[in-house]
Amino acid sequence: MEQAQAVSPTAGKCPFTGSGAAALKDASLKDVLAQPNAFYQALRSESPVHFDAKLNMWLVSRYDDIVTVLRDPQTYSDKHGYAAMYANGFFEEFKQILERDGGGFFADAIKDDPPGHTRVRRLLEKAFTAHRVATLEPGITAIIVELIGKLAEKGANGQVVDGVRDFAVPLTIRVICEQLGIAEFNAAKIQQWSGAVTAQISKMQDRDQMRENAALICELQNFIIGEMKARQEQPREDMISDIVHARLDDGSVLEFGEAVSLIRALVIAGNDTTATAIGNLLFVLATRPEVAKTLQESVDDDRLLNRFVEELLRIEPPVRGLAKMTTKEVELGGVKLPAHAHLLVLYASGNDDESQFACPRDFDINRANIARHVAFGVGVHRCVGASLSRMEIKVAAREISRRMADIRLAIPASEIGYLPTVATRSIERLPITFRRR
Amino acid sequence: MGIKVTFVQANGVEKTIENIAAGESMMEVGRFNGVEGILGDCGGSCACATCHVYVDAAWEARTGKPDEVETGTLDMAPDVQPNSRLCCQIRLRDELDGLRVTVAPSF
Repeated sequence: MEQAQAVSPTAGKCPFTGSGAAALKDASLKDVLAQPNAFYQALRSESPVHFDAKLNMWLVSRYDDIVTVLRDPQTYSDKHGYAAMYANGFFEEFKQILERDGGGFFADAIKDDPPGHTRVRRLLEKAFTAHRVATLEPGITAIIVELIGKLAEKGANGQVVDGVRDFAVPLTIRVICEQLGIAEFNAAKIQQWSGAVTAQISKMQDRDQMRENAALICELQNFIIGEMKARQEQPREDMISDIVHARLDDGSVLEFGEAVSLIRALVIAGNDTTATAIGNLLFVLATRPEVAKTLQESVDDDRLLNRFVEELLRIEPPVRGLAKMTTKEVELGGVKLPAHAHLLVLYASGNDDESQFACPRDFDINRANIARHVAFGVGVHRCVGASLSRMEIKVAAREISRRMADIRLAIPASEIGYLPTVATRSIERLPITFRRR
Repeated sequence: MGIKVTFVQANGVEKTIENIAAGESMMEVGRFNGVEGILGDCGGSCACATCHVYVDAAWEARTGKPDEVETGTLDMAPDVQPNSRLCCQIRLRDELDGLRVTVAPSF
């Protein structure tokens, strides 16, 4: 299973043959988290809308069903799906800790349903247009070139470096902090805060971990509130100021809790999934020579490079699955779901669906339907930062290809560990060696 | 008197919308009036290619060509033609009164 999914030369063979129905029955959670594609394939072919008793959720795995769910936010509520997932089983205690030590419990405004959601969504859309992000390319390039320089110093003479902690994570944290206007920050701390927030939708957090994570989220919120207060008195040219002083299309202003939740979401979403994507990029380059070759052939052509990024997002999407909840009884993929059914929508399986993407494990930048992947979601909750994320991945891919050669894993691929979460497929540590080009 | 535009939907049915104020984008007009195939997921950020249309020949000079950023996003969409545009990037003005576009096949 591991070999078929990740390791060259068996990867990329078409048609991909997973371990089929056996994967549904026998797979251990750890194995599925590391190498999920055979499990996804089994779900799609055997039980596309599948009740998983361990998670107590319905797994939605086929591309068409995923799009149906995401295009109907009234029937499949993001708000209720998220709430049922959040701080899984310990919500009341979690909330009390935040109210006591973290300035308050602030529900995520971005996870509201329409029409409430539409109000804040407009604000963020304006901040992340493709045209605005295009103007950030030189600054992002400078950050990435500097980080690769540091990595190369460390990695000289074949010394092992960590592609996630030494590169992907500090990169995305610097970019989003610059956007938000956070001049001084501790990247390791922001990474910890990110982990604490995303753990709330991991489904794999015990009570002790919840308490540790809640304490970290209190720190994060107190930090955000401090940054907001500084700008309430003295506005600056940055995104936190824009949020603090925002006037929305309907003439209203953001409530304090909404503003905290938006900045929190930007800090976390702004670095976590993009860092995951860049970690995946390095992993793929280290394990699939044909992809490294494709990148080298694409690197001087913006059109090809854009397609390379899109195909990377399709084949290794950072987000595995996010939750929704039915608001009424409804039929999905031939299965009758009751009201309040808790769904885990498997975006990563949609991207792997052979009915939509021929030979889905092949890395093919010439797919006619390349942008049909659902790595960013679909519909009203589609990732608002998609352009920024793409830009960071594109510049990272370009500069890696120009400056680093012979990227290799320093440990066997089977020993690569993934964060214990159903929400993302994030490599924890990526020991690599490389040569400076 | 406002601006009038026509969308030819993929099923062949035409939808004409009148009395539009200048300044709205063609995507907003299509989405708010339920034109099939105009989804506008990214809200007009030129990031998703779910508002892809073909501009009628008579109007191409007035709508203009996509810029570099739009071309980049458009390239990911299926069935791109020389007269393709992402209609979130077409902002309506008096000069475009009567604009006629065909919605590209479903994204």
